[in-house]
Amino acid sequence: MPVLATKLFIPQLRPHAVPRPRLIEKLNEGLRSGRKLTLVAAPAGFGKTTLLSEWIADAQHRDPALMVAWLSLDESDNEPSRFLAYLLSAVNHADPTLGVEAPSDQPTGMTATLTTLINEFSQASQHILLVLDDFQFIEDPSLLGAVVFLLDHLPAKLHLVIISRSDPLLPVARLRAGGELTELRAADLRFTPDEAATFLNQMMHLGLSSAEITALETRTEGWIAGLQLAALSLRERTDVSGFIQGFTGSNRFVIDYLVEEVLQRQPAHIRDFLLHTAILDRLSGPLCDAVTELTGSSEILASLERDNLFVVPLDDRRQWYRYHHLFADMLRARLAGDGPALPARLHTLASVWLEQNGLAEDAVTHALAAADFERAARLIELAVPMVRQSRQDATLLRWLTLLPRDVITRHPVLGVYYAWSSLVSGDLQAAQSRLVDAEHALAATTADGAPAHDSVLSEELRTLPVTIAVYRAALAQARGDVGAMREHASQALDLTQPGDHLGRGAAAGFLGLASWAAGDLDDGVRAFGEVQTSLRLAGNLADALGTTIPSADMLISQGRLRQARRAYEQAVRLAGEQGDPPPLSTGDLHVGLSELLRELGDLPAASEHLATSEALGDRSNSRENRYRWYVAMARIRQAEGHPDVAIDLLGEAERHYLRGFFPEVRPIPAMKARVWIAQGRLNEALAWADEHGLSAGAESAAVDLSYLREFDHLTLARLLIAQLKTPEALRLLDRLLDAAETGRRSTTEILILQALAHGAHGDTALALAPLARALAQAEPEGYVRLFVDEGAAMAALLREAATRGIAPNYVRRLLRDIRPTDGRPGGIQTLTEPLSERELHVLRLLASELSGPDIARELYISLNTLRTHTKHIFTKLEVNSRPAAVRRADSLGLL
Amino acid sequence: MSDAPRMPHPPADLVSYEIRLQGRLDDRWGTWFDGFQLSAGSDGTTTLTGPVTDQAALHGLLRRIGDLGVTLISINATLPSNGDFDE
Repeated sequence: MPVLATKLFIPQLRPHAVPRPRLIEKLNEGLRSGRKLTLVAAPAGFGKTTLLSEWIADAQHRDPALMVAWLSLDESDNEPSRFLAYLLSAVNHADPTLGVEAPSDQPTGMTATLTTLINEFSQASQHILLVLDDFQFIEDPSLLGAVVFLLDHLPAKLHLVIISRSDPLLPVARLRAGGELTELRAADLRFTPDEAATFLNQMMHLGLSSAEITALETRTEGWIAGLQLAALSLRERTDVSGFIQGFTGSNRFVIDYLVEEVLQRQPAHIRDFLLHTAILDRLSGPLCDAVTELTGSSEILASLERDNLFVVPLDDRRQWYRYHHLFADMLRARLAGDGPALPARLHTLASVWLEQNGLAEDAVTHALAAADFERAARLIELAVPMVRQSRQDATLLRWLTLLPRDVITRHPVLGVYYAWSSLVSGDLQAAQSRLVDAEHALAATTADGAPAHDSVLSEELRTLPVTIAVYRAALAQARGDVGAMREHASQALDLTQPGDHLGRGAAAGFLGLASWAAGDLDDGVRAFGEVQTSLRLAGNLADALGTTIPSADMLISQGRLRQARRAYEQAVRLAGEQGDPPPLSTGDLHVGLSELLRELGDLPAASEHLATSEALGDRSNSRENRYRWYVAMARIRQAEGHPDVAIDLLGEAERHYLRGFFPEVRPIPAMKARVWIAQGRLNEALAWADEHGLSAGAESAAVDLSYLREFDHLTLARLLIAQLKTPEALRLLDRLLDAAETGRRSTTEILILQALAHGAHGDTALALAPLARALAQAEPEGYVRLFVDEGAAMAALLREAATRGIAPNYVRRLLRDIRPTDGRPGGIQTLTEPLSERELHVLRLLASELSGPDIARELYISLNTLRTHTKHIFTKLEVNSRPAAVRRADSLGLL
Repeated sequence: MSDAPRMPHPPADLVSYEIRLQGRLDDRWGTWFDGFQLSAGSDGTTTLTGPVTDQAALHGLLRRIGDLGVTLISINATLPSNGDFDE
């Protein structure tokens, strides 16, 4: 995005400004006492900006190291990405050593970038003033939220100044109550009689009597713009008292009276110049020449500045100016009063010049103001690639809403873009109908066979049919219609021309997603391979590397861990070779690799990759994959024996999860349920099952066992096993096994659960068959956590397998990672009524060779008390003999 | 529900507003203020009268008034002919 330097220009101290020590002292006091915010809120013409430039000069005189970042806002800054880009430019402009970078190719969260900024500022050695001028334009809630965030986390050295014509939509009252606000309002800013006297007599040399000064001060109520206009009218006037009498005796609105006076005193050509150029937000000599269709505008602007006629320079070189807002409004109102034809003509002249001089955005604004919609549509079409690249979607959308519908319909390129905007904002119906309109417009021809639409011939137009089909696939995805998604994506692929790598990549991507969601993992992996190739050919390495993530997810579902690991390692290596800054997906790749390494049992390396991803920062982690970091961390913490921490992290993952990017094959609520089951918190797990329509009976043939629900169903199987509902669990697992085999997916986890189900039922012999199969297919791929996470119950089965000579080396490796406490608390809680600490102690002694009286002695209790404990234990374990209790406790992993 | 203050939702083309401002504004401001009629009061105030499409238009208008630094005295919605605001 081109940054206009004029917006970062700190207004210079005006030569004839009245010194205002009482206000400067108030501002300095605010800075000294470390208040967070200075708010200067007053209508136009109260000298807000002038006061601030005087204060800055004064403050920099006192503290030469003080840095000042200034940002003049306007209506178009009401867009997060644009605002942020300018904010960072202003800060970097003030201190180039900070070097905070704007997120370039991805809409990173505002807070993320602000956090970077805040961290940079907290290390700064000098004080920084950040001034946001004309803040009244900012109304976007996310922008206002960002400013609140900044205020809440404001580093000590940073001070925020907001200049606004109206009170900003910020929690001003809270800051005021907390003593964190310095406020200057109209009542503070208006000229006191003394200041009015200084201005009129010392600055403007008018030599007025004190009565005359009082009369002017009273009539204008100390309003500085009014006094300034009065002074301009009085200059070179002989009949001073006549003017003052006329002015104070009139009840006309102050500036109506005074502007009339001032304009009347200008030569005709200057008056016309002022009126005609008032339509411009920024004025330069050449631009004014174009609008007035005259020459010599640069000289006129310079003389206006000299004469103090309400032009404000916007740079040091006097190339760009603007009129004072109030004056511009006055002039525009006068111009509008003479009918719409002249303003429209002036806007068109401005638009033409701006287009020729590469100021595309302003050219569009003026074409729209001229109601020259054809011109506007053409300019917008040309600006689409630029605006989209800088992600100013809101700007584009604002323009499109100003165009009449028939103009958009005649420009299919705009119609398709409009459809995309609707899709992103969730208005699927509007998106659909706009795509239909665009398609009709594209297909229509005139009598002689030429296209009937008005879109300019461009790359965008040439590839539009592909774009439409791709957006249709996106629409289908948003509706959850996998079949239609696949259909439109295939159509898009058929329509692509050779060399349209981006089009091919997008189409193959949707095909891949459709296959993935349907569980056709071979097709999915193949499709994403093609996406990767196409994106690399299109020169988009960051997104090409990003395709490793869906590919690896599918490979892992197929049990191909080694291949997934190779893919990640290769991608991480390639990303690392790209230098600084690393490609966008680098952080995501480290997270993926971390998850794989965790499964392979290397927790330290897995943690390290998460740390690397975190250190890379938000710019290297895409928004849609951010939740994965929390998932990966949760599972590491769980493996380390901290299930409660894991639950918290999964909650965090839920907050970062963005629906609609990838099929939800591993729902976070189910992951939480798995932790609860392992902890024995079956009530929570049962509530989860209820909420997701999963209850006993899911094993019945009528229930949908598609790939998308496999994770849920495997979680349900764990719950059934924990509830000792062995037959139900086994029936469900049998059907899941069939489905997985048909879909050519990994069956290892299902076999493990079959073994556990039998084991929980005490059927060790039956458990060993599926366990042996699971071990045989898991060993070559190096699975560890899939077994180890099942804790003591799995350990018992593995030991049994080893004694029978089943994969003894592999089993030894697995047993090494099962800590003795694993699964124990879970075991207790799978009982309807959990055992107390005391009862557990008794139970462990029952498993020993000790006799009853020996145990009682050991515990310093009577034999009767021991009998009471034992009875409770038997009831809770649903057994009626000591050997049965010991067997049952063993199978539950309680010993 | 009966006593709760309710936002009037009259049909858009029937809403008219009267905005009173301090000072006498020139007639030419009418175009600037979205086609409002200006009338000068004997008390040195100006009343803007005109139709407002919706609340957003009204707030835009108020902002224009604020930008000029004119003092706002009062603002009234004038009732449509049938006098019923809620239907």
